[in-house]
Amino acid sequence: MVITLIKKYKLIFITLSLYIITLIFSNNLFFQAFQTTKKYLLEMLIVMPVIFMLTVLIDVWISKEAIIKHLGEKSGLKGAVFSIFLGSLSAGPIYAAFPICKMLLSKGASVANIVIILSAWAVIKLPMLAMETRFLGINFMILRWILTVVAIYIMAFITGKLVKKEEIHKEKELINEEFLIKQNYCVGCSICVKMMPEVFEIEQKKAQIKFYDKQNTDSNLIVKTAEKCPTKAILINKKYISKN
Amino acid sequence: MDIVTLAFWGICLPLIGYSLFKKKNKTKEATVKAKGMMKGMLLDIIAIIFLIGLGLSILTPTVIAEFLSKLNPITGTFIAALIGCVTLIPAFVAFPLVGSLIEGGAHIVPSVAFLTTLTMVGIKTFPLEIKEFGFKFTAIRSGLSFAMALIIAFIMGGIV
Repeated sequence: MVITLIKKYKLIFITLSLYIITLIFSNNLFFQAFQTTKKYLLEMLIVMPVIFMLTVLIDVWISKEAIIKHLGEKSGLKGAVFSIFLGSLSAGPIYAAFPICKMLLSKGASVANIVIILSAWAVIKLPMLAMETRFLGINFMILRWILTVVAIYIMAFITGKLVKKEEIHKEKELINEEFLIKQNYCVGCSICVKMMPEVFEIEQKKAQIKFYDKQNTDSNLIVKTAEKCPTKAILINKKYISKN
Repeated sequence: MDIVTLAFWGICLPLIGYSLFKKKNKTKEATVKAKGMMKGMLLDIIAIIFLIGLGLSILTPTVIAEFLSKLNPITGTFIAALIGCVTLIPAFVAFPLVGSLIEGGAHIVPSVAFLTTLTMVGIKTFPLEIKEFGFKFTAIRSGLSFAMALIIAFIMGGIV
């Protein structure tokens, strides 16, 4: 019980231990760390609502087809340029990009373009470019910008070749089941329960299959539910349930 | 609040309002989805921010600057790139710092290596990135970023 709890909240556990160790060794450092943390927490409070709104807006207004067309596998050079532009408009630190990138990925963006957006988000920021010019000169800024953009494209190309999309959404083997819920992907949002309360239920903050009957359960609705799942945690065996 | 974040607030808020007005149900549904997604990340993000706070209190920008100025350019570059990976100093602190380093006679190559890995590779956000995108994606992206940072640094050292 304790071990599963530690495993689930690994990062929090590590951070807590480090702070306790710091407190033992140096009182001063401990309070200093708190002071510094406060500043960044504030930054997060300002940035995360924006990320939240952006994720919602992308979900509602930008169709899957549009994302596939402009950011998907076949979007080509135009997609790559578009991705740099999207990433450069970034707000906040790199972790703020994770939810948006995940949403784009699940809606059909390619791995290479996600690398471009993530990297550009981290490195190329408009206010940062102004800052760099002020302290290091315009030539320095332009040269580093050009080199960085080239580097990002090379990285995106290599990562896109090496990592397949399925490896990001790690798939379990589906042999006998019609469909299953990938537990480490489920965030417990309970959309599936709202769609099909007779089939899904939430247990310990994760969705579970409560009841399924091959003859009587509407397989089309299950496919629809799987599509609605924000993290694509419901995996469907195409052999059993086809979309017609 | 910097101007970009402010602009995002100014654009997103009315758009959300419009979205709620135009496609009420879909927007509400998407809000539930996004809430679920963010809730899973939020605790980890807070933990990471506390880690950054602690890290910055031990390795302060001035400590890093002093340390880097003592090393020779080649080893200095590697170490600068490594330090850039583990620290997550915000850029608005890093640029003036690196500016004063170069003005003070520090070599340009380690300074650039530090600047680039600083923002692109994050050991502290590693666990979160793995959770969201898988180990392979994270390892390849970070490894490539590190290599690219060194290459960019050496090219700039050759040109500037």
